[in-house]
Amino acid sequence: MTDDKDVLRDVWFGRIPTCFTLYQDEITEREADPYYLLLPRISYLTLVTDKVKKHFQKVMRQEEVSEIWFEYEGTPLKWHYPIGLLFDLHASNTALPWSITVHFKNFPEKDLLHCHSKDVIEAHFMACIKEADALKHKSQVINEMQKKDHKQLWMGLQNDKFEQFWAINRKLMEYPPEDNGFRYIPFRIYQ
Amino acid sequence: VSCSMAGEEGFFLEERRFKQHCEDLVKHSQQIGDGWEWRTSKDLGDGYLSKTHFQVRNRHIPPDLKEKNNDNTEQMLFAHVEEPWDDAQAAGAGGAEEVVRYEYHVLYSSSYQVPVLYFRACFLDGRPLTLDEIWGSVHASYQARLQEGPWDTITQQEHPILGQPFFVLHPCRTKEFISAVLSASQEHHRHTNFIILWLSTVGPVVGLNLPLSYAKLAPEQSTDADVA
Repeated sequence: MTDDKDVLRDVWFGRIPTCFTLYQDEITEREADPYYLLLPRISYLTLVTDKVKKHFQKVMRQEEVSEIWFEYEGTPLKWHYPIGLLFDLHASNTALPWSITVHFKNFPEKDLLHCHSKDVIEAHFMACIKEADALKHKSQVINEMQKKDHKQLWMGLQNDKFEQFWAINRKLMEYPPEDNGFRYIPFRIYQ
Repeated sequence: VSCSMAGEEGFFLEERRFKQHCEDLVKHSQQIGDGWEWRTSKDLGDGYLSKTHFQVRNRHIPPDLKEKNNDNTEQMLFAHVEEPWDDAQAAGAGGAEEVVRYEYHVLYSSSYQVPVLYFRACFLDGRPLTLDEIWGSVHASYQARLQEGPWDTITQQEHPILGQPFFVLHPCRTKEFISAVLSASQEHHRHTNFIILWLSTVGPVVGLNLPLSYAKLAPEQSTDADVA
């Protein structure tokens, strides 16, 4: 894995320049400027857009604001997909910056999972990690870790700390030669 | 919180056997009118069990009394339709009675090699229940366990086939309490329908009950190789 460190760093630090615009039908007290942000490919929309939320809430009345959600060209964006995946699926052939529309009303219940707190994102992220380890190591590596290791993995992602994250993740990416490698290699295909 | 799994000898179910046991469950369900059906996705080869039923929820009654079995539901529904104009009655001891439509799906998880219970719930006006409302309606006997680790027990996830938001009862917990029961039944070479065994154990946590007649079900002429 150490040989691949350059690749791991390139993947970790991948960014997508994005322009957030408030949906035109949202009721505002004054005009809302778009907000620009470099989004980490490996993270989740609702984890990295606190500043976006604050920016638009400044021009809105409290009663007009409920759960934030994002949309690209009419399609609600699934926050539980990594940002890089969302971009590749929806906008890879378009010019940068990626233009995302921000909504605070009419949450699309049939399309999107709710995300009322960071706990929801953490639970989702950890569930993905656990399922992957079920395939790689029959869950042995993830189960042998302590709660604090799980926390470190999550905090590494949340705070964009490569070293902190990989200190734990490298254990999940190890395969003892005597076991002939991973039991199964987990990957997901989207179309 | 990590799932403890006592090695691979714990409960796991081959996909082929999963489908067979689901088929047996559906057959019995058709005989007793319990409403289970097998659905397949047009694009994928995968299929899943599905059942929809209605429950009356009453916020003022403690959770263990909230649950009505299917026989009573219709009676309850019509009893309240009869007296719509009586405000005193409506605001009385019954409290805010609401009908909730529950939809349950049983899918197979290739990663964990176990069945997984997905469900969604909405009021008659279409408003879906929130995660908090779902947690609140978990049967009283399971509330303690749920409080310990709500995020490890029931969360909202994307349905693997339909791609829509559903609530899921986590597979980790399945292995925990099913292993012991199953190893005992395997020792006695009992021909068990794993789906019925599993569903009768986890279903009640989220308001899903199996009538007792399912217990008499035995898989169709399985060979010893299947049971081993």
